[in-house]
Amino acid sequence: MSGFIVLALRLLMAAAVYIFLGWALWTIWLDLRQEAQGALAHRFPAIRLEVRTRNRILASRTFSKSEIILGRNPECDISINDESTSAQHARLSYHHNQWWVEDLSSTNGTKLNKEKLTVPTVLTSDDEIQCGKTKVIVSMNGDVSSSPTQRL
Amino acid sequence: MLDGSASPIDQRQSRLLIVAAVFLFLYSAILTLSPAVRERTWNVSYHWSHWIGFAIWAALFFLADRFTRKQLPNRDPFLLPLSALLSGWGMLTIWRLDSAFGIRQTIWLTISAIILIAISYLPSDLSILRRYKYILLTSGLLLTALTILLGTNPEGFGAHRWLGCCSVYIQPSEPLKLLLVIYLSAYLSDRLTIRLRFFPLLLPTLFVIGLAILLLLAQRDLGTASVFILIYTVILYLATGKRRVLLATVVILALAGLIGYFFIDVVRERIFAWLNPWADPSGHSYQIVQSLLAIANGGMIGRGPGLGSPTLVPVAQSDFIFTAIAEETGLLGTTALIIVISLILARGLRAAFRAPDQFRRILAAGLCAYLGIQTLLIIGGNLRLLPLTGVTLPFVSYGGSSLLTTFVALGLLLIISNQAENKPAVLTTPRPYYFVIGLLGFSVVTTLIANSWWAVLRGPDLLSRTDNPRLAISDRYVPRGNILDRNNEPIDMTEGQSGTYHRVYLYPNLSPITGYTHPTYGQAGLEASLDNYLRGLQGNPESLIWWDHLLYGTPPPGLDVRLSLDLELQKQADQLLGNNKGAAILMNAQTGEILVMASQPTYDPNQLDEIGASLAQDPNTPLINRAVQGTYPPGSAVAPFLNIFNLASGINDKQKINLFDSLGFYTSPQIRMPVAGAAQRGEINQLRVSPLQMSIAAGTLSNHGFRIAPRIVLAVSTPQQGWIILPALDQSTEAFNAAIADHLADQLAIQNQPFWEWTSSGNYRTDSSSWYLGGTLPNWKGTPLVAVILLEGNSPASAEGIGTQLLKSAVTP
Repeated sequence: MSGFIVLALRLLMAAAVYIFLGWALWTIWLDLRQEAQGALAHRFPAIRLEVRTRNRILASRTFSKSEIILGRNPECDISINDESTSAQHARLSYHHNQWWVEDLSSTNGTKLNKEKLTVPTVLTSDDEIQCGKTKVIVSMNGDVSSSPTQRL
Repeated sequence: MLDGSASPIDQRQSRLLIVAAVFLFLYSAILTLSPAVRERTWNVSYHWSHWIGFAIWAALFFLADRFTRKQLPNRDPFLLPLSALLSGWGMLTIWRLDSAFGIRQTIWLTISAIILIAISYLPSDLSILRRYKYILLTSGLLLTALTILLGTNPEGFGAHRWLGCCSVYIQPSEPLKLLLVIYLSAYLSDRLTIRLRFFPLLLPTLFVIGLAILLLLAQRDLGTASVFILIYTVILYLATGKRRVLLATVVILALAGLIGYFFIDVVRERIFAWLNPWADPSGHSYQIVQSLLAIANGGMIGRGPGLGSPTLVPVAQSDFIFTAIAEETGLLGTTALIIVISLILARGLRAAFRAPDQFRRILAAGLCAYLGIQTLLIIGGNLRLLPLTGVTLPFVSYGGSSLLTTFVALGLLLIISNQAENKPAVLTTPRPYYFVIGLLGFSVVTTLIANSWWAVLRGPDLLSRTDNPRLAISDRYVPRGNILDRNNEPIDMTEGQSGTYHRVYLYPNLSPITGYTHPTYGQAGLEASLDNYLRGLQGNPESLIWWDHLLYGTPPPGLDVRLSLDLELQKQADQLLGNNKGAAILMNAQTGEILVMASQPTYDPNQLDEIGASLAQDPNTPLINRAVQGTYPPGSAVAPFLNIFNLASGINDKQKINLFDSLGFYTSPQIRMPVAGAAQRGEINQLRVSPLQMSIAAGTLSNHGFRIAPRIVLAVSTPQQGWIILPALDQSTEAFNAAIADHLADQLAIQNQPFWEWTSSGNYRTDSSSWYLGGTLPNWKGTPLVAVILLEGNSPASAEGIGTQLLKSAVTP
C-alpha cells in the first residue's frame, strides 16, 4: 500500500520538476518572441533624403531601412546620374542609436557640410552630403518607422 | 508572494519559486514515508529531520525573492528560482544521505542566502570589484597558500586543503576560482582597449594563474587545478577571440595529463580506472563502478527519495551527489537537473550579451564558464565520460565554501542581468561566444546520452553483476525462500522481519550441498544455483516482478524450494560418515531423486561472519561438495560392470570406452547445482569420476540397465499455482539390456539382504580412494535404491560398513 502511495508521490514529484522546467522554458520562449517582435518594430528616426544639383531637387525619398547606399549604380538606394559620382559612393547606416555616413572609397570623395569625410560620422538633420557634384540633404523629422535591424 | 501590482519579472520569479517549493515538498514527503515502503509496513520510524532543511530553504528564498524584487527590479527572473531548485534539491539529498551533513549544509545555505541578499546592495556597475581586483586576488592566493602551512581536514584525515577551527572550515581554493574570474575580467577589460601585443598583455595573468596552479599542485588538488586552467582558457578566448588560446590549452592539458600519468600515482590510477573500470572493480575503480551501478539502479524514474542505496558510493554527498540523485530520481530527475543547470548557464550568458560594458560582459561569461566547467567535469566523471576529478557540483554538492562561492557568483550574475535599458556594449568578436555556446550544448547533449546509456540501456546488465551490493541489501527487507526437504522439513530458512531478515541454516552438515548466501562472501551451493527462485526472480509472474521493482526497488518475496533429500536418512548418513573425509549418495534408482547427499568435512554457515575469510584457505576444502564436485579415480569400482564381457578373452580399450560412455563417465550429470566437469571421452587410465557419476552408473544395476537422470530439486512453491514440479534436466537412457543388468546385480547379492554391494579400493597412483557401491536387487518390491560411498584414503572396510548400514536403514521402513 505504502508503495503505491509513494509511487504516486514520486510521479507527482517528477511532474513538478518538469512543470517547473516547462514553465521556465515557455516564458523564455514568450520573451524571445516578444523580443523578436520588438526587434522588428525597433524604432528609429526615419530619414528623408533630397538629391539636388545646383539647387534643383531631382528626387526626394523617405527611407525605412537601416542601410542606404548612394551611388551611380542603378541598383543603389539613391541612384545619382552624375559622372563625378562613383558607382557605390557612400553609405548611410543606423547603429548605436544614430545615423552614420561613410565614404565607400569613392574616386572624388564625399563631403559632409563642405568638409571631406574620412571616418564614419554621425548625421543630424539638415546635414548636406556631397557626392561628386551632387548634394544630398538629410532631414530627420523625428517621425518613426519600423524596419528590421540587426542587434544582439 | 503574488500581488497584483507585481511586475511580470517579479511574478515569474515568485511563481517558479512556488513550483520549486512544491517539488521539494514532495521530495521531503516521500523521504518521510520511505521507511514504510522499504519495510512494507506502516509501523516504522519515519524520517522527519529533513523538514528543518525544507522550512529553512523556504524561508530563505522567500526573503531572497523579497530583497531581489526591491534591489534588482530588472534582474533575470529565472536565475534565482533555478538556483533555488538546485540548492534545495542538493540540500535535501544531503539530508537523506546523512543528517549530520544535512544540518551543516542547511547552515551554509543560510549564510550563502544572506550573502546573496547583501550582494544585491552592491552598486550595479561592480566598479568596486574592478578597482580592488589585486587586493581580492592576493588575499585569495594568500589564503590558499596558508593551507600549506596551517591546512587541516575537517574529517581528520586526507588532504589538508581547509582553513579553520572550532568546526567551521573553509576551502580557500573555492573562492579563489571566483576571485580569479573577477581579476581576469577586470584586467582584460582594462587592457584590451589599449592595443598591446598579445604576450605582454597576457604576462601578468600567466603569472597569476601559474602561481595559483602551483599552490594547488602543492596541495595535490589536481581537479581544482584543471578547473583553473579551463576557466582561464575560456575567459581568455572569449575576451581576445584568439583561437590559439584554445589550441595551447589543449596541448598543455594533454602534456599535463601525460606527465601526470607517468609521474603521479593518483593521476595514473584515475586515468586507468577511467579507461578500464571493470578490470579492478573492488580497488581503484570501486568508486566509478559503484557510481555506474547506482545510476543503473535508478533506471528511468528512480527508486524514490530514501529508497535507493546511494550511500554505497563513497563520498556520495560531494563528489558523487549526481549519482545519488540519479539513483533516487532516475533518468527523469537527472535530465531535469542537467537542463536546470544548462538554463542557469544560458541565462548567465544572456546577461553577458546584454552587459553594458566589457568588464561585466567578461565577468558574467567567466562566471558561467566557472559553473559550467565544474558541472561538466564532475557529472562527466560520475558518468565515466571523463576521468574523475574531485570537484563539487555547483549549488548541489555538500560543502560550505563551494555553496558560498556559487551563491556569490549567482549574486553577481543577478546584478549584471539587472539592466533597465537594453544597451549592450559593442561585441566586436561574437564568434568565441558562439563557439563556447556550441561546445556547451554539445557537452550537455553528450552528458544526457551517457546518462541514458548507463541508466536504461546498460542498466539491467550492470545490476546483475555479483558486486552489486543492492541485492544483499534487499535480502534484508524481502524474505528469501526457504529450502525444504522432501517432507517439507526446513533445511535453510529466513528469519526475522523486514529490515532484519537473515538466513538460518538449520542443518549445517548439509552446508557443502546447500551452501550459503552472505552479504560479504556471496553465495555457494544450492543457495547460489537456486538463487533466482529463492529471491523471487524466477517462478513469480513477470508483472509482479516488474511492480515490485517499480514500487520497492526489490524483487518480490522469494519462493520456497523443495529438495528430494530426506532429512532423516541424511542425518543417519552424516552420522555414519563421521569424521571420514568423503561423500555419500543415496538415490532412488528409478526416479533419480537423491535422498541423501553428504560431503565431509563440512562447516557451519551460521558462523560465516567469523569463519568466512579463512574458509576458502582451509586445506580440508570444506566448501567443496565432494559428492558432485570431487572427482576420484574409480579403480576397481568399475569391476562389476566389466563382468558384462567375457573376461577370459580380455577386453580391449574400445570396449572399455564404450562401456564407460554408456555408464555416463564422460558426461557431466545435469543437476541444478554446480558439478565437476566430466573426463574427456576416451580417457581410461587417468579417468576420474565424481560420486554422483558413480551413483548414476551403479543405478543401472538396480534399475534394469537404465541410466537415470538425477534430481535434487523437486518443486518450487509459486504464489499462483502452488507447488510446481521441476523435472530432471536429463533424459534416462538404456545403458545395457535388462537381462544383463539384472544378472550383474544378482551376482553381487549378499546373504539375507535385499541388496547387492561391491567395495573397492582404488589404489591408483598417489591418490587413494575407497568406493562402496550398493543397491537393491532387481526383484526388490519396494523403492529401488542405490548407494555410493566414497572415502578419501585407503579404508574400504569403513566404506563398506557405512554403505551397508545406510542401505539397511533405507530399505527397512
